[in-house]
Formats: sequence, structure tokens, C-alpha cells
Amino acid sequence: MQLFVNPAGELSIYRQIMRQITEAIAGGRLQPGDKLPSHRDLAEQLVIAPLTVKKAYDELEAGGYIETQRGRGTFVSGTVPQPAPGNTGLRDAARNLLSLALLSGGGMPEAIHALNEVQKEMLEARGERGQQEKKS
Amino acid sequence: MNTILQFENIVRGYKKEENVLNGVSFRMGQGEIVGLLGRNGAGKTTLIRIAMGLLYPQSGRVSVFGLSPTQDPVAVKGRIGYVAEDQVLPPAATIRELTAFHASLFPKWDPALERELVDRFGLRADDKIKSLSKGQARQVALICALCHRPELLILDEPAGGLDPAARREFLEASIQLLNREGTAILFSSHHMGDVERIGGRVVLLDQGRVLLDEDLDHLRENVCVALAPSAAANTRLETLPGYLRSRNAQDGWHGVFRGEPDDVSLRIRQSLGANNVQCARVPLEELFVEMVGGRQ
Repeated sequence: MQLFVNPAGELSIYRQIMRQITEAIAGGRLQPGDKLPSHRDLAEQLVIAPLTVKKAYDELEAGGYIETQRGRGTFVSGTVPQPAPGNTGLRDAARNLLSLALLSGGGMPEAIHALNEVQKEMLEARGERGQQEKKS
Repeated sequence: MNTILQFENIVRGYKKEENVLNGVSFRMGQGEIVGLLGRNGAGKTTLIRIAMGLLYPQSGRVSVFGLSPTQDPVAVKGRIGYVAEDQVLPPAATIRELTAFHASLFPKWDPALERELVDRFGLRADDKIKSLSKGQARQVALICALCHRPELLILDEPAGGLDPAARREFLEASIQLLNREGTAILFSSHHMGDVERIGGRVVLLDQGRVLLDEDLDHLRENVCVALAPSAAANTRLETLPGYLRSRNAQDGWHGVFRGEPDDVSLRIRQSLGANNVQCARVPLEELFVEMVGGRQ
């Protein structure tokens, strides 16, 4: 999985990493049991401080997304945590999406269209992975 | 955490009645990374030179590994690696001659690490210093600062004058070293993107004092910038909770506050009666400009 960071981004770097990994898990590009690079390797690959990656991993682990097995490495958890009911993050993202749709002169239909497109992308990514695994 | 570097109330000036440093205090622990930020003339290099024992503070105390850098220079310098902002290397020497000289000074010099770094940077040991590019000369200076395996690395503007690719290579090498050695690093820089990459703690100097001393992630998440039209500037901003700085700008005023953007914006709206206040978390570069900009 390819990660990238933008030091001038709105989110701090460890949050950018957390977001990309949770998105990859949600989208199926990362699946339960998949191995993540060690925090040191990822730090060198992204050219950021090892502690920053460690912080992202620690938070993901505390959130139940990944788990560290001593001496073996870090893996995507078997059971991905369910968001709490009344999840404000989801609502914020929805508000953001709808605002963007309204700003570009559209509305609900455009927002739903965008959601469908993203879902299709995620399903395709999952499908491609399935095929690769069958071949190998 | 063991303290390896401590500044206590450092005062230093070059001219009478004008102090560059006016009571600077902070400490660094073992393995910690601290980015020293500030405008040109904020006193970053002066502070670094005091830590190296190259300058005396006029008052206050500095200790490195619990020792005074001016009283115990050999003991202190043997455990520090230092690359100066305007590091001058002898132009007629070859890289090999220069590293051999450093090896003779430092009993802990590691020839294997030296060879590895020379290879990694793609340098040729027989090249003369004067034939090197600016980036290569910086790499040689870094090798000289690193191969005695210092516990504290002090880099004054390590990327000054380097092109973006050379800067990235320098950063890559630093991060690999961090990974392996866990060396504490104090570095000054004007490249906020580099500071965000290296992370750690940020100490912002302004007008001879420490204006901020905070974990970078904490700073990025708990401090926000508010933009408001000038009509709202009638009440005293300084009295609002979480206030850090404000300045007038073309489009009104900009303020830096501690707190969640939504809370801060609500607070400003309620106490100033201003409607169109925008609050957002911002990258370090913007924060730097808002904290120390517009006053010179």
C-alpha cells in the first residue's frame, strides 16, 4: 500500500497516516491479517520522524484497527471496530460533502453520485485484490 | 527523562542596551528532537553558539550533559556533533584528509560509519573540498559531526542554501540515523515543511524570548488561527481566553488562539459581536507567520 504525507496539509502528519490507513481498511485495500511496514521502515520511506509513525500506529492500535504481535510485526486487526452510534465524524464528513456539492452549484443528487462513485472505486480495489490473491 | 541540555535564563547581546537573547530557558532530554525556530535575528545561532561554548552568556546558565561548555569544553564537545550555519571546511584538503583529522580528535570515531556515510552520499574520498557542491560540502560536514557517535547533534540551518532534492537527501540521512541511533537533535530551520517532517518539539524564539515551547503535533491540533473583519477589533483581544497573538492585516485582523476552532470562533463571536469570524487549524508555516510576522 502506498502512503504519502503532505507537511503543509491541514492535518498533522501522524493524523494523515492514521487517516490513510483507516481509509485503506475501510476500502478493502488493507484486509485483516495484512502486514504493515515497521514504523522505522515507513519513517524512512516517507522521510518523517520514526516517532511520528509510531504515534500513528499507537493510536490505530488503541482504536483497534491494527495489532502488534511481538517479534512478528504489525497487522491489520481481524475485527475492525464499529463506529459508535451518533458518530460525529460521519456527520462532519457528510456536512463537508454536502457543502462542497452545494458550492459547486449542485445538491443532494451530486453528493449521492459522488458517494456512489467512491463506493464503486472501493469495490473495484477489493475485486482486484481478490483476483490477485486467486492467481498467487 | 535525563536532561542533556539546559538553558536557564540566558541573556546575551552584542551591543549595549540591546539584547539578542533576553532570558531564554528550555531543556532537552535524551533522544529528544527539538526544532529551534524564529525570524532572522531572533537569536537561534547565538543560542546554539552558547551551547557549544563558543560564546559566553552575559547572564544565565547553560549546561550540557550537566557540564559547562566553557569550563569543560573537551568533555562536552566529545559528546556533541555540530554543523554550523556557515561551516567553513578547508578548501585544499581532501575528504579523506578531513575525516582523518576528525578521527584523530575523537577517540570514539567510527571508521565503519564514516565509510558507510561516504558511500551513501555518493562522495569520493579523494575529492578536494573546493571541488564539492554546496550540498556535498554539507554532507561532509555532517559526516564530520556524526562519526564519533554523538549523544547530541546540533544542526544550525542544516538545509540552508540547499536545493529541494539535496535538502530531502539530507533529511533522509538524518531520519535513517534517528532510526538507528536515537541521537538527540537540536536543529534550527526556516523550512517549516522539514520541521513538520522531523517532528518532535518546537521552540519558537521571538524578540529574545521563548514564545512557544510545545510538542509539534500538540501545537498543530490545539492552536488555531482566527480571521475576522477589522470592525470586530474594538474589544481587547488579549483578554479572550486562549489568546496568544494577533496582528492587523489587510483584510481585518488575524489572531492565534489555543483551543478547538469551533470553540474559539464561538468565543470571539460572543465577546466581540463579530459575525464572520473564521477559525482553522493551520500548517506550521502559517502558524509561524501569524506568531512572529508583521511586526518588524
